[in-house]
Amino acid sequence: MTTLQRRIIQAGALAMIALACFSEVKFTILPGGGVVWELSPDWYGALVYIVPGSSFVLAGLIAWSLRPRNRVGLLMMGVGVGLLAGDALLQHSVGQVSRPAEVLLDFVSPLWAVVLIHLLLAFPGGRLVSRLDRVVVRSFYAVVPLAALLAVVAGYPGGLGRISQPVFDIEVPAAGSIYLACLVIGSALVIRRWFLGGHARRRSMSPVFWPMVPITVFFVLATAAVLGGSFTVLATVFPLLLVALPVGCLIGLLRSELDMSSVGDLVVKLSGGLAPEQLQPALAQALHDPSLEVAYWLPAQEWFADLEGRRIELPTGDSERAVSVLGDPASPVAALVFDSSLVDEGQLIDTAAAAVHLALQNARLQVQLRAQLEEVRQSRARLVEAADSERQRVERDLHDGAQQQLVTLLLSLQDTKTEAMRRSDLETATLIDANIAALREALGELRELARGIHPTILTQAGLVPAIRSLTERCPIPVEVTGELGDARLAPPLEAALYFVVSEAITNAVKYSKGRRMCVSLGRSSGLAVVEVSDDGVGGADLSVGSGLRGLTDRVAAVGGRLIIRSDHTGGTTIHAEVPCA
Amino acid sequence: MRERVLIVDDHVGFRRLARRLLQAIGHEVVGEAGTGAEALSESRRLKPDLVLLDIQLPDLDGLAVAARLSLEPEPPAVVLISSRDAADYGPRLLDCGARGFIAKADLSAESLVALLRA
Repeated sequence: MTTLQRRIIQAGALAMIALACFSEVKFTILPGGGVVWELSPDWYGALVYIVPGSSFVLAGLIAWSLRPRNRVGLLMMGVGVGLLAGDALLQHSVGQVSRPAEVLLDFVSPLWAVVLIHLLLAFPGGRLVSRLDRVVVRSFYAVVPLAALLAVVAGYPGGLGRISQPVFDIEVPAAGSIYLACLVIGSALVIRRWFLGGHARRRSMSPVFWPMVPITVFFVLATAAVLGGSFTVLATVFPLLLVALPVGCLIGLLRSELDMSSVGDLVVKLSGGLAPEQLQPALAQALHDPSLEVAYWLPAQEWFADLEGRRIELPTGDSERAVSVLGDPASPVAALVFDSSLVDEGQLIDTAAAAVHLALQNARLQVQLRAQLEEVRQSRARLVEAADSERQRVERDLHDGAQQQLVTLLLSLQDTKTEAMRRSDLETATLIDANIAALREALGELRELARGIHPTILTQAGLVPAIRSLTERCPIPVEVTGELGDARLAPPLEAALYFVVSEAITNAVKYSKGRRMCVSLGRSSGLAVVEVSDDGVGGADLSVGSGLRGLTDRVAAVGGRLIIRSDHTGGTTIHAEVPCA
Repeated sequence: MRERVLIVDDHVGFRRLARRLLQAIGHEVVGEAGTGAEALSESRRLKPDLVLLDIQLPDLDGLAVAARLSLEPEPPAVVLISSRDAADYGPRLLDCGARGFIAKADLSAESLVALLRA
């Protein structure tokens, strides 16, 4: 919009206020040259329109000059013009408006309430964010003039939109019902927007929401007053209520200017040194949006991540969340994700972002490091999982292949031996018997080998039966205490804990010289814990041999930790804990 | 007592040996099956007294087959067999409704007779 156009609109709005005011005054030029004036007989009734109408127009002009790109100012002026048009219709009742102007006013006048709903739904950004709001408001702009037409055709012009009488008091109930329905639906949408919004939205809406509440109550009472007959008193209070709205709009817009001071507080905090994890809360406080999130750009991965290095998808499209990407769009530093009510606080966001830019860059380095560590951890977990799957496959192949064939051979030999004995060939039977014994021994060794690669019982029955099976085969008495709950752990967790127990028992048998062992199990606070202890000579050392070191890595690969306590007086305790749901 | 037996194992060689073993101790082998699904349909059709059932089958787990057979109106006795040990299956062996388990390496006329008499 050009400056000239702006000036014309501003002058037109001011002229409308002046016209409305002067229309209530009758000037008479005296023959001697003096001028006397007197107020119109209905000047008091006209104030009902002129006071709120002028307030909206003036406040709208101020808002428009403060935020030229924000439609809030224009919408406020629109409400004001509608109300002043209502005043003009009132003048028509005393014969001061021409017929064509009267018809035009019949259509314009009722729209003030629709523009007001539009304003409340769009405040403070000036745009209707929700699709529902857009559809409903557009339909109001279409339906309300139609209702006005209905009233005109029915021979009752100027009935809609007049705030000096109850809506149902007009003589065309259909038009009044349509108008009232629009007002009720619009109010419901505003209330919905308030309740669905977060802290930031409510904070920005509060200067217009709270004045709106008594206005809504007025409409309810106005409808009820049709029955009660006490409308006149309410109609006197209503203009005062309406005046609170443009004032609230201005306060809301001016407050965001004052919010710049909170960025100053942020800068003070930054000068004192802010840790990366303190940046998001500090920004949320400065921008008055507790829901604000900082997403850091990871160039290597080409995605945004949170402080822990976990991937974040930025909101897109018709969302109640808005995004401001900081830095070069091709290679940004970070993005701020915040409530969409802050969209028009661009300057505030830019200032806050500039203040924290360096701190965000430092934090991003930390996020990059965490993301890389997370990637390494996941990669290690995948390697362990792949190794476990491979062990399981080898074990299965041994069973289904070699062992199955040997078992069949064993049964075949037994069959042959039975046949030899039936023929009384004892020499052959004895030879076969020796072969059967050797084959049984080979089968036993093969079974132990397969069990060491991957125990079937772990897959088939779970961790606790697998540990009990281990302890039952242990030459040292082992007591198993505690439980791990009914739900099974994820296979990588079961495998990690199983091999901890298996290795601990093997080591204890080989080196501890202990007389008894204890395996205790537990599950609480999201952790599954297994502890193996013996009463032996101690001396277990992570730095000696690869067994315990490998176990530590294996447990760490699933996000757990392994603690070894071993001294010469208290035996050895191996404690393993892994995170579980 | 002469039992009517259904042998279920996916290895033909093993089924042949098991058939000879069972016949040697006087049982009648009424049928053979190589999968869990076949085991269920053949058992319903042939109504055997005993099913010698391998745990590792290409489709269904033998333990699951045993559990389903135990729900039949006239369930046959089920003896589970496997090239693995009983310890490899833990408590699942006790919960499937089978009469007993014999490791294949220990399968003999004596072990089978002892189990069926128990």
